[in-house]
Parts: sequence; structure tokens; C-alpha cells
Amino acid sequence: MKSSMRRAMRLWNKGHWKDYLFSHTMLLVASLLLVFFISIGLGVGRILDRFLSSDLPDEQVRVTPKGISAGFFQTERGGVEISDALLDSLENLPQTARIDRQVYAHVPAYLRGLLGGRNYYTDITLEGVTDAFVPDSLEERFGWRYTLADSSTARLPIILSENLLLLYNAGFAEAHGLMGLTRQGVVGLECQVTLGASSIASLQARPITVNAQIIGTSRSMALFALAVPIEFVEEVNELFLPGRPHSYSALVVTARTAEEVPDIVRAAEAMGLNAETQRGIAQKAELLVGIVTAALGALAAAILGAAMASAVHTLVADLKNRSYALGVLVALGTTRERLAQVFAFQVFLMSSITTILGGLLGCGLAALVSWGLLSLLPVLRLAVPSLAVFPVIHLAAGLGSVLLASTVWAWFFFKKTLGTPVTDLLRR
Amino acid sequence: MSAVIQARGISRSFGGITVLKDLDMTVHHGEFVAVTGRSGSGKSTLLGILGTLDRDFQGSLHVNGRDTAPMDAETLAALRRETMGFIFQDFHLLPNLSALENVLLPAVFSGRYMEPVEKEAESLLHRLGVRVDATPSRFLSRGERQRVAAARALAGRPMVLLADEPTASLDEASEEILFDLLDSMRREKGFALVAVVHTRSVMERADRVLDLREGVLHHEVIHA
Repeated sequence: MKSSMRRAMRLWNKGHWKDYLFSHTMLLVASLLLVFFISIGLGVGRILDRFLSSDLPDEQVRVTPKGISAGFFQTERGGVEISDALLDSLENLPQTARIDRQVYAHVPAYLRGLLGGRNYYTDITLEGVTDAFVPDSLEERFGWRYTLADSSTARLPIILSENLLLLYNAGFAEAHGLMGLTRQGVVGLECQVTLGASSIASLQARPITVNAQIIGTSRSMALFALAVPIEFVEEVNELFLPGRPHSYSALVVTARTAEEVPDIVRAAEAMGLNAETQRGIAQKAELLVGIVTAALGALAAAILGAAMASAVHTLVADLKNRSYALGVLVALGTTRERLAQVFAFQVFLMSSITTILGGLLGCGLAALVSWGLLSLLPVLRLAVPSLAVFPVIHLAAGLGSVLLASTVWAWFFFKKTLGTPVTDLLRR
Repeated sequence: MSAVIQARGISRSFGGITVLKDLDMTVHHGEFVAVTGRSGSGKSTLLGILGTLDRDFQGSLHVNGRDTAPMDAETLAALRRETMGFIFQDFHLLPNLSALENVLLPAVFSGRYMEPVEKEAESLLHRLGVRVDATPSRFLSRGERQRVAAARALAGRPMVLLADEPTASLDEASEEILFDLLDSMRREKGFALVAVVHTRSVMERADRVLDLREGVLHHEVIHA
């Protein structure tokens, strides 16, 4: 800053530092809050999206029984099961290209292993899926075939539902002092799966135990299930419950085109089944994210509005109070151009610096809050790397709006004041 | 003597009330012109027009030989800065600034501030008997503020100093002191002085006395 400008600024603001600091503090707070709410708001949206997302492609419909799908517990809940007859009906629809089946193991089961050097035990539900659910890379590496005959030479491959992983992290791990698991960290874990018994139920037949390994994770599995090759589940169901009617936990129906998906949904619902599509999941997610975002947005807008109004009011009121001083300066021969330079420096440059500083502090606060929340809630830490999101363009646009809103009013009033005849300005 | 201000046919009305009527007036370099008249006779209005602060008048105004009619606000501001000094009736000091800061204000805001300017301002204040310290001008006495306003007007080395009742509400002795100083500096520096005054002793110092009655210049007293 040139010394003459610095001197002019000092004289102009002498005795008005409180107003000056107040308006800039308000501007700083407004910028800080704006960045904080954008950052954390988008972070919350991201985490909701993460929890509610699904890998289901657009042309697929996931058909499940009505009621609560909980594998082993399903029959006890009395839900409508997907029988072979319903499968045939869906297969015969002209819109159906193919159907991939999923079958629950209707036998109690549990899993044991070592986690962080400690014994780990949990009751589980197995769900048999075809290789259509398995990413090609995993299938090539591990193969997606397993029967009891393979138990002496191979490990049972398991694909873990990511929702189950979140549930584990959110409740079980914390409550039992166990380490949290990340999506990457869980892959490769070895364990033993026992079928025919669990902590709450057992069958008359002698339980069997196989070695197993988690080979991947998926977002499209049922909430409580571990996915394993379907022939293994069919074999276990037949072994332990030979007389039980055959049923499916879910069918993933692929339509010939995405446009035909609604027809399949209608047909499935007519059969008394649930039909879920990517669009439906996305709509639910969008609705929830929308509600949360709107609530956060309203709160942010209220706080931001108050801070902005305060900053603008102080800037304009300060000018209004000093129109007399402007008149004195003009009367003494100061050109309006020179005054505009001083004002531009004071309002635009200093406000820009304040806004940027507020933005940086907002980023810092968002990062701090994110760090605090992720430290307190491991489930969040494992779901997303950070709750704070910093989209540079959005933040720059937001800060630019704050800067414009505050300075344009002040500039408008300043120009209006400068346009007033000197003799009028000199009247106090 | 050449004219520093030449006003011809000046008329000024406010809401249909004519305050100045077809007034001619010339101020020459270095002369002291006293303007007198009763309250409401248009003295302040006349000084506002001569000082180019009020542009809403009929007639012509030349300052230092330049016609002010075609000048825009920026040019007029520069003209004021280069040729004029003002002592307003209310002094128009910025209350939060010290005496020295008020004197330096025009130089600072016109980007002409330099160390010698500050030295000269300090010297002016000393000569006018104002202490140079950080006291805000709002705490100064009326007499002190009047002298600070005079120092500010003189600091710009004007060709003409316009003083609008600078001694209003001051006692006669204070008025004498101020005009002693202004008159001696006028003789020393050669600027013209146009002052609205009421005291006979001050009028007697002037080269000419213009008597304004209800906006009309009735007669001009010229001292030898």
C-alpha cells in the first residue's frame, strides 16, 4: 500500500475503528459460516449418499419378499417367500432378459476369527448369490464356486455387505471394544464359518465348520447377509432342512432395456413382492439428503443473513454518518476520483481480504469439526475420509456473493453520497 | 492588479426566493475584501458561489482567469485545491482528527503529502498559537478551532482565502487577533482575502467593503 493511501485510510478511519472492525468482523463471520456450512453440508450429503447408495444398475430390479428380510429369521416372521413358481412367472415376462437368484441359508450360523489379535465371534446369515454379483476381477482371482467337497482344499469365499460393515463399525465394534474395519482393511480376513448352530439357535444335525475368507465387499447385498456361492447355500439348506420348500431371498431381474424396468416393477408388486430399482433407491436417498440439506441450508441462511445484514448495515451506516466528512473533503479540493480510490481500497480490497480470511477460517473450522466428529464416531471415519468437503468453485462463488452483497450496497450508497451537492453534504 | 475572482450577473434563488440579484464582483490578487450585511442578506451564499461550492446560480464566474461554467466537479475540486482556501463559519474540522491532521487533510487526500508539508503545517499552527499534539479537535475551544481552520486554509498556499464569518460567536479581541494574523500573512504571502465580517475595526483593515442588503450589492466602500 502506498504511504499516501495508508495515511488517507488512517485519517479516514480515525475515531471510527470500532465501526470498521465491527463491519469487517461481521463480514468475516459471514464468510466463515458460509464456507463452514457449504463444506459440512456437502460432507453430510456425501455420507448420507454413501449410506444410501447401491451398486444396482439402471436396467435391474431387485425383487425381495415383503416383510423383514433377515435370512434365518425370515420364515419365523411369516413373510411372503419367493417360490420357484414366482421365479418362473418373472422369467416368463417378455421384458425379462435374465434373473440372478439369491438364496438365504435358512440355518443358524456363526463366524469366528481373529480381529486385531482378539477372538471375534458373531452370529451371521449367509446368502447365496450367483457369479453375476461378483466383480470379474474377484471372480478371476478367487473363483466363485464352492461346495462342501471343497472345504478341505479351499476357503469359502465371502463378499461382505458394506452396510453390514457400517453396522458393525457403528454399533458392535464400539460396544465391544473391537477395532473398526475399513472396506479395504476387511478384504483378505480369514475366519471360520460354522453352520447348524448359533448363539441363539441350533439344529439337531451336527454343525459343520469351514474355513472362509472375505474376498470383497458389495453395496447390493441384503443388509444382514454375507454373500457366498449359491450352490454352497443350496447344499447347506438341503443338508440341514431337507423338507423345507425352496425359496429365494432375492431375485435380481435384468430387463431387456432400462425403459422396461417399470413393467417388471409393476409385475413383481402385483405378485405381492417388493421391487427396488436404482432410481427408487436414488429417490429415497435424494429425499433424505434433500431434507437434511434444506434444514442445514435454512439454518445457515438465517445465520448468514444476520451476519450479512449486520455487515452491510454497518458499512452503509458508517458512510451515512460520514457524508459530512466527505463534504468537507470535497470542499477542500479532494477529487471524487481520489475519494473513490480510498473507498475502493477500504471497502473492496479490505473486504476481499476479510472475506478470504473468513473463508480460510471456515475451512479450518470445518476441518476441525470433521476431525472431531470422525474421532468421536468411528462409523463416520470408516465410511468417509472426511466430513468436510471443499469444492473450490462453489466456495469461491459463495464467497464472491458475500463480497458482492456487502460491497455493492456500500459502493452504491457511496456513489450516491458523492453525487450530492457539496453544500448539502456540509449541512450536518 | 489582475483579478483572481470575477463574478458577473450572479443571481441565486432558493425555492422561488431570490437571495442574490444580478451581482457583479471582482477580487484582485492580494486585496482584502470585506463583505458585510445583515443576517439572510446572502453573504454565505455569495461565498459559496465564489468558492465554487454552489454551482446552481445564474451568471458567470471566472477564477484566476478561467471560466468555471464548463468545468466538471473534478476540475472544480482541483481548482479549489490549487487556488482557494476556506475558513467556514462552523470551521468544518473533522472532530476525531488532531489540529495537525486537520491541517494536513487536503494534502493527504490529494496525494500531495510530503514531510516538508507537515513541517510547514506545524509552523503555521505554531504561528497561529495552536499547540501541536494529538488532542482531537472536538476537544479544542472555539477560538482554537477557528485558528486550526485558518491554518488548514493557509496550508494549501491559496491565491484567495474565503472566510465566512470566521469570528462569529467570538469576542472582539479574538476577532482582532485572528484578523491581525490573517492580514499580516496576506501581506506576506500575497493572497487575496474575502471575509464576511461585522466588526467595524476589521472592516477598516479591508481594501474594500461590500455591503449586501437582501441580495443586492448596494454600495462599495473603498479605503484609500
